[in-house]
Amino acid sequence: MSLTVKDLPGLDCGACGYRTCATLAEQLPSAPELLKRCIYYSDKQRLVTPALAAKPPAPAACGACAAALAPEGADLWQDSLGREFDFYLDHFPVEPGPREIILPHNPIITREMNVQPGDTLIGRPLGMSCGCPITHCGVAMQVDHRTGVIVWCVTGPLRPRQEGFKDLGYYIAEGYEGLVRKRRCELKIGMRYFFQPTMCMLQWRHSGLINYLNRTPEALQIRIEGLWIG
Amino acid sequence: MSGRRIYLDNSATTPLDPRVVQAMHPCLESVFGNPSSLHREGREARECLDHARGQVAALLNADPGEIFFTASGTESDNLALTGIIEAHGGQENHLITTGIEHPGVLETCRSLERRGVDVTYLPSDSEGLIDPDELAGAFRPTTRLVSIMTANNVVGTVQPIHELARIAQDHGVPFHTDAVQAAGKIPINVQTQPIGLLSLAAHKIYGPKGVGALFVRAGIQIAPIIHGGGQERGLRSATENIAGIAGFGCAAEIARAEMSGEAARLVKLREHIIERVAVLVPNAYLIGHRHRRLPGHLCLGFAGMEGESIRLLLSLDEAGFAVSTGSACSAHRGHQPSHVLQAMGFDPLRARGSLRVTLGRFNTDADMEAFLRVLTEKVGDLRSIATYPITTTNRGV
Repeated sequence: MSLTVKDLPGLDCGACGYRTCATLAEQLPSAPELLKRCIYYSDKQRLVTPALAAKPPAPAACGACAAALAPEGADLWQDSLGREFDFYLDHFPVEPGPREIILPHNPIITREMNVQPGDTLIGRPLGMSCGCPITHCGVAMQVDHRTGVIVWCVTGPLRPRQEGFKDLGYYIAEGYEGLVRKRRCELKIGMRYFFQPTMCMLQWRHSGLINYLNRTPEALQIRIEGLWIG
Repeated sequence: MSGRRIYLDNSATTPLDPRVVQAMHPCLESVFGNPSSLHREGREARECLDHARGQVAALLNADPGEIFFTASGTESDNLALTGIIEAHGGQENHLITTGIEHPGVLETCRSLERRGVDVTYLPSDSEGLIDPDELAGAFRPTTRLVSIMTANNVVGTVQPIHELARIAQDHGVPFHTDAVQAAGKIPINVQTQPIGLLSLAAHKIYGPKGVGALFVRAGIQIAPIIHGGGQERGLRSATENIAGIAGFGCAAEIARAEMSGEAARLVKLREHIIERVAVLVPNAYLIGHRHRRLPGHLCLGFAGMEGESIRLLLSLDEAGFAVSTGSACSAHRGHQPSHVLQAMGFDPLRARGSLRVTLGRFNTDADMEAFLRVLTEKVGDLRSIATYPITTTNRGV
């Protein structure tokens, strides 16, 4: 294709990255792909987009595992905002992510959407103190259609992108269950603590009341409710 | 980190150009009259108003008599759509628009639907383009208006507006375009483009907030939606915001004079970011059309992290960079996926995950290098905690 300045729109608009159509025309013999940048010339041509504009490849995995966040040795006892906490909350190793007990803001949708164990879900925990701004994704583990309560394991967006999902909209995080391997004080049932969920995207501390505690050879297993961020 | 902020959200709004501030200054002090008044103070204000009207008209190659000042781009959209429908009285009315419009158009359409107007929402392709053939097939005998934005505020894609407007013209239907994002950035010439109505806003081109305009081609019948003293030749009553309008005029004149060089400069910055992000940030992808986009407009996605774009925004903000996760008008709707990305075929999760980076007049090469450095770092930080790796062995369900 041999184009001259007369073939270009003559608007000298700069939207191609060159101040004038004449300058663009000078470049075309050595770099004909630059013609794609002229939005007026290409009005009727749907040009093929290069690699960056193509659909993104699905990553093999989304980041490192939680172990990278729970530092060995020199433990950090401050969250990303510099606030102190008492322990890290890890998830059960056999599960795909942190276990949460949640309640959709309209609990009836648990039944209406026929949420079942194994379903992939997404939603945002509005109402949990300041409300986490992050959209969460996870897989349902237990479902109570009578109360609407769902126990799920939070994963990441990879699974819903691959497998489809049901959208809960807003939900309330009612409780967490997990393992405490690292702590800097004794933990007791009935006491409220600041803690850091190791998989928290924001690395913000949370607080809550421990109402179940079991000592296992591996770690302390806890359930913590009455959650707040901060 | 130094205290310096780098503003990369110029599609949300732009800072005032110092030259605009200078132009507004007399109207905030000495030129205080009401332009409808007959005395000297009123005449001085009228001169400012008329001068600015000419400056804004020149940006579009329009006649000054075809420019009507409003209080915002959104008001201009409301006036265009509702005004055209109102002008047709109680008849059966149909309106054509798209699913990717700004809420200024979409919400007006919904309001009109509640009043019995039929609205067709044209689909968009995955790059944000409207198919002219879809438009051609949507007309009815009762179609009163077509409204399609010139450039999208979320993804930056520029429509083939001339072709779309020509189709409307062929059907004898006025064509309105929301050019709030495009005006002053790419050429618009209403002498050669068959556009009937066009919305503008001053604050997108380094002018003040609270001022907009609607171009209405001579001969198009349109009814007012604000009633009162008959200002703006009866189409938009209310005492004119003279200081704001003077600033708008100055901003329009600067944009027209500097458009070519500024667009070329911004495209170079934009292309540099696209090329470097492709290398530095694995799985980043560009949303919107690769080339048919506003000069300084980037909309990026990060595969596997779409739901966490807000976290990325917060991290960048903390590091001194202002970007957005979509249009500013919807930033408060934390739960809602972008209607634009959904209309482009994105699923609800990916539709929540765009990072909009929009460059402007006051951004420099050094800003881009600093942004690339911090973006790479922050995306890397997020990837390390984003997701528990899902494999067949640890899925546990």
